[in-house]
Amino acid sequence: MTAFAHDRFISAAAAAVLLAGVSLAAQAPKTASPAVTPGLVESGGSLFIQRCAFCHGRDAGGGETGPDLTRSKLVAGDVGGDKILPVVRYGRPEKGMPRFDLPDSDLAALVAFIHDQATKAASQNGGRRGVDVSDLQTGNAEAGKQYFYGAGKCASCHSPTGDLSGIAERFQGLQLERRMLYPEHVKARIVVTLPSGETVSGELAYRDEFTVALRDSSGHYRSWATNQVRYTIDAPAEAHAALLGKYTDADVHNLMAYLQTLR
Amino acid sequence: MTRRWSIFVPLFAAAMLVALVVSPPSLAQGVDSAMLLHPPADSWPGYHGDYSGQRHSPLTQITPQNVARMGLAWAFQTGQSGQLKCSPLLVDGVLYITVPDNVWAVDARSGHQIWHYRYPANKGFHIGSRGVAMYEHWLYFMTPDAHLVCLNAYDGTVRWNIVIADSQKGYWTTMTPLIVRNHVIAGVSGDFDNLAGFLKSIDPETGETQWRWDSTPPVGTPNATSGGTTWMTGTFDPALNLIYWGTGNPTPVLNGATRPGDDLYTCSIVALNPDTGKLAWAFQPSPHDTHDWDAVETPVLVDGDFKGKPRKMLMQASRNGYFFVLDRTNGEDLLTTTFGPVNWSLGVDQKGRPIPNPDKEPARDGRLIAPDEGGLNNYRSPSFDAKTGLFIVDARPSYGIYFAKPADGTFGWAGADYGVWSTSVLEAIDYQTGKIRWTHDLGPGDSGAGALTTDSGLTFTGDAGGNVLALRTADGKTLWHAGTGGDMQSSPITYELDGRQYIVTSAEGVLFAWALPEATAATLAHDHRSSHGVNSTSGRPR
Repeated sequence: MTAFAHDRFISAAAAAVLLAGVSLAAQAPKTASPAVTPGLVESGGSLFIQRCAFCHGRDAGGGETGPDLTRSKLVAGDVGGDKILPVVRYGRPEKGMPRFDLPDSDLAALVAFIHDQATKAASQNGGRRGVDVSDLQTGNAEAGKQYFYGAGKCASCHSPTGDLSGIAERFQGLQLERRMLYPEHVKARIVVTLPSGETVSGELAYRDEFTVALRDSSGHYRSWATNQVRYTIDAPAEAHAALLGKYTDADVHNLMAYLQTLR
Repeated sequence: MTRRWSIFVPLFAAAMLVALVVSPPSLAQGVDSAMLLHPPADSWPGYHGDYSGQRHSPLTQITPQNVARMGLAWAFQTGQSGQLKCSPLLVDGVLYITVPDNVWAVDARSGHQIWHYRYPANKGFHIGSRGVAMYEHWLYFMTPDAHLVCLNAYDGTVRWNIVIADSQKGYWTTMTPLIVRNHVIAGVSGDFDNLAGFLKSIDPETGETQWRWDSTPPVGTPNATSGGTTWMTGTFDPALNLIYWGTGNPTPVLNGATRPGDDLYTCSIVALNPDTGKLAWAFQPSPHDTHDWDAVETPVLVDGDFKGKPRKMLMQASRNGYFFVLDRTNGEDLLTTTFGPVNWSLGVDQKGRPIPNPDKEPARDGRLIAPDEGGLNNYRSPSFDAKTGLFIVDARPSYGIYFAKPADGTFGWAGADYGVWSTSVLEAIDYQTGKIRWTHDLGPGDSGAGALTTDSGLTFTGDAGGNVLALRTADGKTLWHAGTGGDMQSSPITYELDGRQYIVTSAEGVLFAWALPEATAATLAHDHRSSHGVNSTSGRPR
């Protein structure tokens, strides 16, 4: 069941990104962005401590529940706030990231501070906090392969020459490990049987105790009261959740070692 | 402020009788010791309602039979993007609610604003505010920069403002103080630095410190821990004259190498004398914690049978995934059991404490841990229903991965951890066996709603999708729901005003009051008065 909430927010997040792009373009063309000055970074740092540091750490290197922003791919790919601002403004409710209603000047300062911290962290030689790719190399690839085809039953859904071909080229380190443990991006499918007997299928768009919704192949969103229809859900990510209680730490490390051979 | 003297006269008379016995006569208005000991039906004068932490109400107007007709009475908009994470306080028909730096007084009948107080801009952590405490007609509000501000409840003006802890060192505050007689008992937050945890008792009139209890030795003591903050409101047993308080995790957080041993009194439940701060006993849910599992979850006080013997008990559904039943006279463990996935312990020791597995301490290559850092329980209030013997908790089964290496150092967090998976489920635990009698799925992700039970057999909570739920306490069946469009991060309260029972919940920055239709409530209130021969709002049955 756990895949569903994550899935239902993906379309909302995508919409938010689109909206944010529009409003940013309208309100703050890039040429009008304030110049990044030490003063702007400092004021962003002060705001970061008040609003962000509890989850992301005072230095943006990760704290309670919030990720390390200095190693974030989204931050690395951000230009002048184009990736960061939508997340701050609209939040990521499915991941516990609230939205923040802040003036543009504050947002610009926050972005400047986050980039400054990422630059500082990247230039640090050795002894860096957090998780490096080199930290996740303790497993045995052969044992991982055995687990993949044996106890883990991974091969019942995945193939090293199919969907996982070249996976280690696409994802590394902690990002690969987190996807392996629970691929929250994977969409669930739903088939709804209406009172008339007609069936409708699509990508699961929403589900709680009272409402279920899908997006069909044409992109049309449809919802029903759960007590009015019957439905079945195919959520491939659930097999990953079911494994969490069965892994030993060695299984996790061995499986990582094996996946990292799939280049 | 408007007063309804017809309602308050009998209440006042009753309060005076009690007050004469247990404390000097106090002002007619506001909160006194008698009200805190026996909250009237038209009040919710402390964080947990009463001192027990049961978050259970004797109100019965809204029942399993009529709850389907419940609807919105009013909503109050804070206009803030910050989420309401407070338990509203209700005294003299006025609700007091907070977000960091902000307090509102709201008319509990109509939901309109009476006043709004703003604390000056400051650099503290604006992570949440759990509400105000009240003594006589003074409010006590804790701030992101670790001050305690005393406000006049009539108009929100500042009476005094004192420093509880140095925010420059890394302290902040979010909690609601506990009022015990003339003690305002205030705790602190802060585990991003190696800081001492402590609890302070403040004089409600002058703001002077009456006592201070330190949960850990002075920072820098060799081979000793720091930490053990006190960031949630405790409970109080007037007969034993003990307050019960949970303490937070040790620091450095994920690296235990510099703090060998149990790290007392971090991740502990402590019993203190409210007049002196002297420790009576302590029990430690998480010895030598390395996963940030505070033991600050509400220490719920229950008097009842345990396996055939009457006991004064304390129950906690702890963040580390264990449910404990203790004898609160001495801290003896009566029951220790898990209430969801837990994989970090080697079992339970002779004192009933989980034994941490050294192989599950954070490591360079990662350890998969259940629950994750957010825990199987957290700040969300549980509820205890005496009729069914059920301890109802908003649980969060989860897995996370924990990392630590020498480069992470020995200060503050000293490692990194990441949530992998979580879901939310309301659990009804039989306190005598620890067995889960029923569960109610609250959906994937996090529910922050907490739980409230009432004598009519209802449980109020919220799911992860933003629905407020009314469930039958006996079996967890849904009887009513309403979508609120946002995260519910405050635990529900209830009260009865003018013969109408209200349930108050929040979502994002909006407060909602739910009630039966006015005509239905009026009929029920009339019937209730006729059958009991009393005004239904004149006192809280015990």
